[in-house]
Amino acid sequence: MSMIEAIQLSRVYLRGDGTPVTALRDVSFVIGAGEFVVIRGTSGSGKSSLLNILGCLDTPTSGTYRLSGDVVGSLSDDERSHLRARRIGFVFQSFNLLPRATALENVELPALYSGAAPDRGRARELLGRVGLGERAAHYATELSGGEQQRVAIARSLMNDPPLLLADEPTGNLDSASGESVMQLLSSLHREGRTIVLVTHDEHIASFAGRELVIRDGVIASDTVRRAQVPA
Amino acid sequence: MNASRLLASAWRSLTRSKLRSFLMMLGVIVGIASLTALASVGEATRQETMRQFKRMLGTFDTLTIRPGAGSTRGMPSLGAVEPSLKFDDGPAIVAGVRGVKRVALVQQAFDLDVSYRDETAVPLVLGVSPNWADVRGEAVASGEHLSDDDDRTLARVAVIGSDVAQTLFHGEEPLGKVIRIADVPFQVKGVMAPRGAGPGGVSLDNMLVIPVSTSAKRLFNRDYLTTLVVQLEDANESDRVADDVRAVLRERHRIIPPAEDDFTVSSPRATLAQITSVGTMLSKVVTGVAVIATLIGGAVIMSLMLIGVSERRREIGLRRAIGATRRDVLRQFLVEAALIAVVGGAIGIVVGAGGATIGALLQKLPPAYEWQIIGAAFAISLAVGILFGLYPAWKAANVDPIEALRS
Ligand SMILES: Nc1ncnc2c1ncn2[C@@H]1O[C@H](COP(=O)(O)OP(=O)(O)OP(=O)(O)O)[C@@H](O)[C@H]1O
Ligand SMILES: [Mg+2]
Repeated sequence: MSMIEAIQLSRVYLRGDGTPVTALRDVSFVIGAGEFVVIRGTSGSGKSSLLNILGCLDTPTSGTYRLSGDVVGSLSDDERSHLRARRIGFVFQSFNLLPRATALENVELPALYSGAAPDRGRARELLGRVGLGERAAHYATELSGGEQQRVAIARSLMNDPPLLLADEPTGNLDSASGESVMQLLSSLHREGRTIVLVTHDEHIASFAGRELVIRDGVIASDTVRRAQVPA
Repeated sequence: MNASRLLASAWRSLTRSKLRSFLMMLGVIVGIASLTALASVGEATRQETMRQFKRMLGTFDTLTIRPGAGSTRGMPSLGAVEPSLKFDDGPAIVAGVRGVKRVALVQQAFDLDVSYRDETAVPLVLGVSPNWADVRGEAVASGEHLSDDDDRTLARVAVIGSDVAQTLFHGEEPLGKVIRIADVPFQVKGVMAPRGAGPGGVSLDNMLVIPVSTSAKRLFNRDYLTTLVVQLEDANESDRVADDVRAVLRERHRIIPPAEDDFTVSSPRATLAQITSVGTMLSKVVTGVAVIATLIGGAVIMSLMLIGVSERRREIGLRRAIGATRRDVLRQFLVEAALIAVVGGAIGIVVGAGGATIGALLQKLPPAYEWQIIGAAFAISLAVGILFGLYPAWKAANVDPIEALRS
């Protein structure tokens, strides 16, 4: 079953002065449930534009995007919010933890919007899962970058989404922390989660089973590195 | 997202930057505190005025008839009034007007010397019909009230107020003693229960009553009255009864239009309402200032909220990414603004009630903590929070998450 179906997606931005910028041009691909896909490309090639559409934060100017069968482009803003709450976990380059909240509160946050009952136990469990069980009461500002990103990964799992989207999750980390974050994502993939990760970095890209290279808004290559067998 | 979680998270964000929250509240605190204090002091004063009038009048379910058109509110002596109200007018009103319980007849003077041995006082001297004590609900502390027999026999008896008892007798037993009112001897048959202070804080116990028939024939030698006190069956009928009384009196006094009434009917309730509704100039100015302070408080909340929204764009973007709808974000910021205003309002209410207590104590009044005032202050704070929180919350709801999250 396919998790993501992108059919001739285009995204055209309008600059301040009214001139159009084409960030994506007729991009088509399919990502199956349980795949670990990396999207690689140079700066300005359109990676974030694509990920925003896949994450239901943005809608394509033309083309069709299906997320596990649902046509996202025809959904209202509220419906897309509900999709994000239940089906998608986000991991950002700059972590985006709430600085005035503890690690535990940060992990719990998505439950606020999924309609589920507050579940402190699950948040604790997830913190343990990313190796930060004893840091639950620490404020985000008291954690190292790598720790913050692991809290952010725990947060992305709070509503148990089938799809994780990560935009340069190791971009702000040293190589050791980046490595541990990638180990974590790999283990989530082995559990059966679909992961789409944007990066510049060739080494990071090697963790994924498939690599989409994007250049000037078009898919330049689509390489399967190894057979993906979800555990 | 349910209400308690919303409130809990708003409370958290409020308590995590206490100084900022306090600054946001300050205007509301000042405004609500002064509004509460003002309203409470005003209410305490109004209640005291009511009590003073009540003590003076004994009851509010009456109409007062005085001689002369447009007669003054003061208390003229018998010698200074038009001789238009007659003794027979009383029974005529009882007989001719529906809804009248009793009519008391009063002659008054407050320029008569009253003496006992070497002591002299100048109390208010009232000649009253025997039903006067019933109309007013007046009680005696010792002895008895004036009786029908006293009135019929023109008895020279007096019931004296507690101040008079004190001034003339200094603790000696007054009952049975003979006092002189303008040199006419009267025997004390009762001492009235103390009434306390009337309007302006003047004592209401510096007075005595004698039968009105006695006062008319043996003291003043006048056959007219200074006041008729009409007691109503039902206080709500005051206007209708006043009209009927006027008609009866005009006929009895043979007044033909366009001639004016030679008497004035007034309702103490209406007079009181008028007196207590007029705030002083000062209180109006202070109220205005308090309202402005509250509005400035609202504006402060709005501008600090707007700054907060732009500082928290990332947080908003993140919340949107993990599934918050626009309405969730709107609600979050609105609840924060409302909570700040309400907490500020609550502090203001406490501060204001404290101020009102001090104010009341300075005026030697019992403080009035009216739940309506507290409720209104609360409602005003909430309204200010929502009103001034709406625009920042709307701004927050419309933050573009993609842009907000771009690093
Ligand atoms: N809101 C916008 N308005 C106008 N142009 C935009 C907007 N967002 C992106 N672009 C343009 O679209 C193109 C693709 O941008 P995008 O952010 O997708 O690139 P990227 O591959 O993520 O780059 P980077 O590696 O630097 O993050 C760029 O030329 C960028 O300037
Ligand atoms: Mg990018």
